[in-house]
Amino acid sequence: MVIGLRFYFLRQALLNMRRNLTVHILSLGTIVACLLILGSFLLLFVNLNNWLGQWGSALSMSIYLKDGTSAYKRDKIDAFIRALPGARIRRFISKEEAMHDLKAALGEEAGFLERLAHNPLPASYEVIFENAGADEIYPEKIKEQLLALDGIEDVQHSTQWLKRLEGFLDVVRLMGYVIGGLLCLCIVFIVTNTIKLTIYSRRDEIEILKLVGATDWFVKLPFLLEGMIQGILGGGMAIVSLFLSYLVFSSKEIYLIGPAPLEFVFLPVEYMVLAFSLSMVLGIIGSFIAIGRFI
Amino acid sequence: MIQLFHLSKKFGPNIALNSIDLRIGKGEFVFITGPSGAGKTTLLRLIFGAEKPATGHILINAINLNRISRSNLDLLRRKIGFVFQDFKLLPNKTVFENVAIALEVTGIRTKIVKRKTHQTLRRVGLAEKEKAYPLSLSGGEQQRVAIARAIVKDPLILLADEPTGNLDPDLTREIMSLFKGIHERGTTVVIATHSRELLEGTQCRTIVLNRGNISGDTW
Repeated sequence: MVIGLRFYFLRQALLNMRRNLTVHILSLGTIVACLLILGSFLLLFVNLNNWLGQWGSALSMSIYLKDGTSAYKRDKIDAFIRALPGARIRRFISKEEAMHDLKAALGEEAGFLERLAHNPLPASYEVIFENAGADEIYPEKIKEQLLALDGIEDVQHSTQWLKRLEGFLDVVRLMGYVIGGLLCLCIVFIVTNTIKLTIYSRRDEIEILKLVGATDWFVKLPFLLEGMIQGILGGGMAIVSLFLSYLVFSSKEIYLIGPAPLEFVFLPVEYMVLAFSLSMVLGIIGSFIAIGRFI
Repeated sequence: MIQLFHLSKKFGPNIALNSIDLRIGKGEFVFITGPSGAGKTTLLRLIFGAEKPATGHILINAINLNRISRSNLDLLRRKIGFVFQDFKLLPNKTVFENVAIALEVTGIRTKIVKRKTHQTLRRVGLAEKEKAYPLSLSGGEQQRVAIARAIVKDPLILLADEPTGNLDPDLTREIMSLFKGIHERGTTVVIATHSRELLEGTQCRTIVLNRGNISGDTW
């Protein structure tokens, strides 16, 4: 293809967009909104996956002791924990420390604790199993072993609610597929209608082009490019908007589980490329349908 | 150059052309005349491939239009110039752009498109109006833009449908001299007209159509 001709197609596509600016702006806004919703789901999914990965790789366990456990029994429990593969005692929390932590957490509401006749909180160990997945540690088995020891009241581990979160992640994924599919259809529909309008506004020119010997593709290509440009602009603007929203969110500390704030990550580059390419492809599909039906 | 064999065309129950046989040789200058509704425009549109015949065959340069593919018809149209009765100019494009469009579709370099468009607009006397828009031009000037668009690609055949229909006698003479000039350069020119003034004293071949039949041919 002659270079000049390539520029001709691009020029025609941009001219079409300029002539139907209002339609294109409205359409672009809708595409960006659709992609933003899709991108938000993707971002939520990526972050949930990330958090699950982080929590899953460092299994944590709270081991609660019975009241009145002797120092001898505690030493035995201590030794047992230290012998577990990958286990590290992060902290021993005495009954007093547990009460102190609770008071600190309740702040001004902690007054009622003063009226308690005795401290009901148990002493506990906070244990971390580093690289839990890699070492194939079975938390339920460890829990059973610990409960068999004298002096242990209860054991709770992070995988119990991780499983619940994984279930939630599956729901998010499924919703993402359904909503994403509908939004993709919506984008194709919007682009098809926008291109239909520009074809309609150029119908006289199309007629003349055909009369002077333009091939079908000569007439169609600017419209295909138009759809592609819409997709590119929509994809680009949606990613930028999503990034700005991410900056706002990630600047705030959000605590969901445990003492550490949630670490927000943005979409990885391959996801951004995927979202951008998807937007471009949807633009092309939309314009392809329009030119197939109306030219 | 142009051969028609038993060519018929119907629009619903109305017969527009009835078993026409006709040959127009290379480099001829031919008038097709007849009253309104005689089938002049239909005949030109069939030769141009804008209509399909009900029966019969059309051969352009030995290519049968009944058997031509759509893409080859597009390529053939690049060798045929058509001046439409209603000019068919694009109001939102300049004179230059209206003419250049016929070259742009061929995919030739922009530099050549510009050079040939300038040359053609000079030929039709519109060099000064290149940047003007069609609606700001007079009827005669718009007609010349339409002619420039038809001849800019150096067509083998030039078809013109009532090219002087809306023009005064002076402009008619001007336009006809343009067609003569194009013909002298070797182009086969076929003009459909119902204007008697245009045909008075002409030495050119004149084909008379009446109710879809050829009722006279001075050949």
